[in-house]
Amino acid sequence: MMPYALSFFSDLFAYDFMLKALGAGIVLGIIAPLIGSIVVVRRLSFIADTLGHFSLVGVSFSLFLSSLEVSIFFDEPLFFGLIFSVVGGLLIEMFRRSYKSYKEISMVIVISLGTALAAVFFSKAKATGSLYTYLFGSILTVTNYYMYALLAVTLLVVLLFVLFGRQIIALSFDETSAKFLGINVNIFQIIFMVVLSVVVSIMLEAAGVLLISSMMIIPVAAGMKLGWSYRSTLGIAILFSELSVFFGLWAAYSLKIPSGATIVSVNILILLIVALIKRIVLKRQIAKLAKQNVPDEL
Amino acid sequence: MQIDIHNLSFAYGHKSVIGGLSLTLNPGDYLVVRGKNGSGKTTFIKCLLGYNPVKTGMIFFDHEDINTFTKWMKFGYVSQKFEDFNYDYPITVNEMLSVYSLRRTNQSQRLKILDQLGILGIVNENVNNLSGGQLQRVFIARAMLNQPEVLILDEPTASIDKMNTEYFYQTVNSLHQTGITIILVTHNSDLGRLDLTHVLTMRQDMTYDFMTGDKFHTEEAE
Repeated sequence: MMPYALSFFSDLFAYDFMLKALGAGIVLGIIAPLIGSIVVVRRLSFIADTLGHFSLVGVSFSLFLSSLEVSIFFDEPLFFGLIFSVVGGLLIEMFRRSYKSYKEISMVIVISLGTALAAVFFSKAKATGSLYTYLFGSILTVTNYYMYALLAVTLLVVLLFVLFGRQIIALSFDETSAKFLGINVNIFQIIFMVVLSVVVSIMLEAAGVLLISSMMIIPVAAGMKLGWSYRSTLGIAILFSELSVFFGLWAAYSLKIPSGATIVSVNILILLIVALIKRIVLKRQIAKLAKQNVPDEL
Repeated sequence: MQIDIHNLSFAYGHKSVIGGLSLTLNPGDYLVVRGKNGSGKTTFIKCLLGYNPVKTGMIFFDHEDINTFTKWMKFGYVSQKFEDFNYDYPITVNEMLSVYSLRRTNQSQRLKILDQLGILGIVNENVNNLSGGQLQRVFIARAMLNQPEVLILDEPTASIDKMNTEYFYQTVNSLHQTGITIILVTHNSDLGRLDLTHVLTMRQDMTYDFMTGDKFHTEEAE
């Protein structure tokens, strides 16, 4: 296994598909925690999971259309995934407004609807071989279309943060006070939801439906353990995210495992190491403080 | 900003909480709203801030009906126990204030407000590591950032100790001297040290006393 594992480095620059995978991974490694941090602050960590399930409706619908020999959007399930993810996002926002104190209800409704519809279309589609890819991710097989779409999504995310970053962060920390800043809360909620849905759909191929939320949330969770400010937390989260993309890609290529699984496994490993180190450091600090506070006469 | 309230009533479902409340405040007034728990103080503030829709009675801000009013940037609001903020995610005081100072303020103005409130030293502290008193002043700083005409403080001394409460009242007095209209909700009965111009007493039976500060102090003395 060792020589095969090492061949990752030589193959990285030898094959076009490897470079594409690495490029896509690096970009996703930045935008996933960037959007993920907002999702975490807003206490909506399950939202990416919900949107992922709903974008699976698009993928299954695309496969269903292919089996009817109807060809739309260059036969790329990605584009259908994108449309359905946005529809799912808007549905969540709609239900969220009806159940204001029970935000999670909106996600249960949308995730159930998404899973049910996806099952219906998959059962009626003839070729469902790629289902495995969409469930667990396959960054090593991304197409040129995917790279163009990723570029467009990255520009969208950058534009969102450059134009409205402050408003979105302010709104995420405190929705009730946002109106005193002249922010139209409803419009910003919808803008963020649409961008989040688009990011989720673009992560579908790389991370897989079941692991998208992990790639968004876990690096942020690890960053929160070490960060002392919003910027530092985000910076640490992006660093962890990039590390997990790189080592995840390595493991996916060397061991022939879906990339979503390997990237997320590295993410969790980093989180565990960070949590363990933090615990040890805290324990030592407490012991040191206790020692300093012991009265002299004892 | 002139605030006119005419015959305001509000109910949660069938439960009436406010019935027939009327008052007028002129720019620069300092109103203290007092009353026991359940007398409708917070409900009144929520009506004033547009969170509770006003269907019976009317509220006007500078003669503009609250239901069509959009210039909420003229208001600063500090809620009870600051519970609406999503804590735990690391964010420094400076970062927090910078995302909330969308217009008209810059870094030096932010630092000036923090200095005025006596919390310049914690500008780079993580908000999650602050004490109740420090947190309260950070939220007042946030409410002050966009230079509001009206500052509404809903029982902000509920979660802080006596010394910080004293400091808080001094701070509000000095903010009032800058010409801002203050509406302070409190269940604290000792109002002697406040520079108030008006007092609204709310009761559970939906009877209200609205009087000037002078009259209130005279009645208290008697």
